[in-house]
Amino acid sequence: MPGRGRCPDCGSTELVEDSHYSQSQLVCSDCGCVVTEGVLTTTFSDEGNLREVTYSRSTGENEQISRSQQRGLRRVRDLCRVLQLPPTFEDTAVAYYQQAYRHSGIRAARLQKKEVLVGCCVLITCRQHNWPLTMGAICTLLYADLDVFSSIYMQIVKLLGLDVPSLCLAELVKTYCSSFKLFQASPSVPAKYVEDKEKMLSRTLQLVELANETWLVTGRHPLPVITAATFLAWQSLQPADRLSCSLARFCKLANVDLPYPASSRLQELLAVLLRMAEQLAWLRVLRLDKQSVVKHIGDLLQHRHSLVRLAFRDGTAEVETRGKEPPAWGQGQREGEVGNNSLGLPQGKRPASPALLLPPCMLKPPKRICPAPPVSTVTGDENISDSEIEQYLRTPQEVRDFQRAQAARQAATSVPNPP
Amino acid sequence: MASAPGPERDLRLLAGCLPLYPPPPPTVGLLSMEQQETYLELYLDQCAAQDDLTPPRSPLFNPVVPYGMYILNASNPDTAFNSNPEVKETSGDFSSVDLSFLPDEVTQENKDQPVISSRHETEENSESQSPQSRLPSPSEQDIGLGLNSSSLSNSHSQLHPGDTDSVQPSPEKPNSDSLSLAPITPMTPMTPVSECCGIVPQLQNIVSTVNLACKLDLKKIALHAKNAEYNPKRFAAVIMRIREPRTTALIFSSGKMVCTGAKSEEQSRLAARKYARVVQKLGFPARFLDFKIQNMVGSCDVRFPIRLEGLVLTHQQFSSYEPELFPGLIYRMVKPRIVLLIFVSGKVVLTGAKERSEIYEAFENIYPILKGFKKA
Repeated sequence: MPGRGRCPDCGSTELVEDSHYSQSQLVCSDCGCVVTEGVLTTTFSDEGNLREVTYSRSTGENEQISRSQQRGLRRVRDLCRVLQLPPTFEDTAVAYYQQAYRHSGIRAARLQKKEVLVGCCVLITCRQHNWPLTMGAICTLLYADLDVFSSIYMQIVKLLGLDVPSLCLAELVKTYCSSFKLFQASPSVPAKYVEDKEKMLSRTLQLVELANETWLVTGRHPLPVITAATFLAWQSLQPADRLSCSLARFCKLANVDLPYPASSRLQELLAVLLRMAEQLAWLRVLRLDKQSVVKHIGDLLQHRHSLVRLAFRDGTAEVETRGKEPPAWGQGQREGEVGNNSLGLPQGKRPASPALLLPPCMLKPPKRICPAPPVSTVTGDENISDSEIEQYLRTPQEVRDFQRAQAARQAATSVPNPP
Repeated sequence: MASAPGPERDLRLLAGCLPLYPPPPPTVGLLSMEQQETYLELYLDQCAAQDDLTPPRSPLFNPVVPYGMYILNASNPDTAFNSNPEVKETSGDFSSVDLSFLPDEVTQENKDQPVISSRHETEENSESQSPQSRLPSPSEQDIGLGLNSSSLSNSHSQLHPGDTDSVQPSPEKPNSDSLSLAPITPMTPMTPVSECCGIVPQLQNIVSTVNLACKLDLKKIALHAKNAEYNPKRFAAVIMRIREPRTTALIFSSGKMVCTGAKSEEQSRLAARKYARVVQKLGFPARFLDFKIQNMVGSCDVRFPIRLEGLVLTHQQFSSYEPELFPGLIYRMVKPRIVLLIFVSGKVVLTGAKERSEIYEAFENIYPILKGFKKA
């Protein structure tokens, strides 16, 4: 550059201003000799002119992983190890956590939320690999509330746009059943209660499939159904010794928590089995009840497909044709008798008329009849009479009384104890 | 060709290639504005009638028709298109065109298969009922106009055979009695015609807001009104209730008010006015500005059980079913933007609507889907 001087080495005038990293230098473009150098550091007086930039406005956030995110990622890995998940799951869960962390809403969330987010990422990973991990299990591990967990889970699925498959029931059965401590004799488990794992698993699976087919699983938490099915399977494998054991005692023996709805699921399952038993001639004469039907569960399960078809008729068509009749769905037998006279068998020996195959909530009579609301002819622009409004206002006398009463109450509460 | 530039030339092209039905315009060439309008209306009438009885021809057979319409519209922005209020609605909607009126998959409907498709558009098509089953009066005009607006948007994309699953290529002989159908009636009526089943969702709750446009002294309101409760430590608003219509209002010190609990839009408006009148009588210069319905909730019963697990499998991108958290399936419909809670007993709750018609439309969209899951 003209006017800048000459290179001391070669004498050319072609000097270029260049910066070597952050240091500005005047370099000769012919021989490469550094003529002058700028300062690498700023002086105190220079620094006085600089302005502060908050961390959140600098690019530091994007360039390094924040401590909070590091902690979260560590928690994800720990959780995967505690649950003994395959190593590939860990990487996927970590990736989800990082993906979630890119959203500002998550970055600025409370620590409790970030903790639950760890659980959500692990749960989503497990679901996508058909690993049967329930939300209840994760919440117990994280000491989190199910409501909090549910809101964050729904939020994160929507935010990341993920496709999360449903819980795999078969896998859950296998995992859950294996956790029952009934496969070896121990001081708490007498020999007659010990059961073979494979037999129990296969029977439980069949019972759960039966429950699924007869509308006992849709809309309900899956775990209590499996508890009930496991109990029935266990009982039916050795009914003579085990009929005396109750569901609660069974869960205590097996060292498994008894979920509250399990007893009602048990009753529903037994009712289904009883209906199926009515279709087998040799069982019909026995007049089974909820206790004795357990002995025949093996037979019933063997023919479950045809029995279900015989024992239940499609509730859907029935419900529609009924229309506005008063609800009498619980009395499926009565309707069945009306429509089932084609068999021509004598009354006593006829198999029970098919009951409606409906979810239990539809079989119960409705709690209250909801009358159709009267058609209102309100236009929204009617005149509002003064008297109607005045009914909502206090008269001056009432206001005074109210104020006096309020003051008296204040005085009473402020004075702690009369001496 | 012709030396006349622009739209006129294209009209002549159009006239030459137009199919015999509907009949070509009376004069080819420079049509006056009014003539264009009457031609347009005539054509639309016939199109609407035609749509009702026969499936529209494939765009491959009459690509010129939509193209012609497109030219007309582009060159004459003041045609009947814009003068027609309905079109304004539909013409703004090209991005998510509602092709549900098309009698498309009539054959699919008859086969009674559950919908297994991931593309929302085809899903909407298969959801829809064939127009024959629709009563002609309310939606006839919409059908006709809808056809044109959808053709306008898809005028070029519809030329691809791949997209014709929305329009069946089955030219049938025109029905001459199509014009005897019911005359076009404007707008969707307040009482919906539920073509599918006779089930009408009942409105259960309306949430509306209004601005009283004056600062309020909440303590004074709570003191002078019998039906008010005010607990500043719990919530920073007065909760007021009236008996007729049975509603609750949250009144804030800024003058804004939220009114909930009404069963219809008119009732909500009347209730809000009553609250405003109460506030007025208490001595505040309350006005009634910007009354707006913010949310409408409806519910109904389809009367058959629904396999929620199946529904979440086929409609994964819209549904969320977590039995561990909530017994119902949450279905987020895209058009109209409504959230439906579907339960195993067949009860359906629809929420998120700003208009009553959105609730009815959402239920009509969901009913065929639910019917597909009727069999146990």
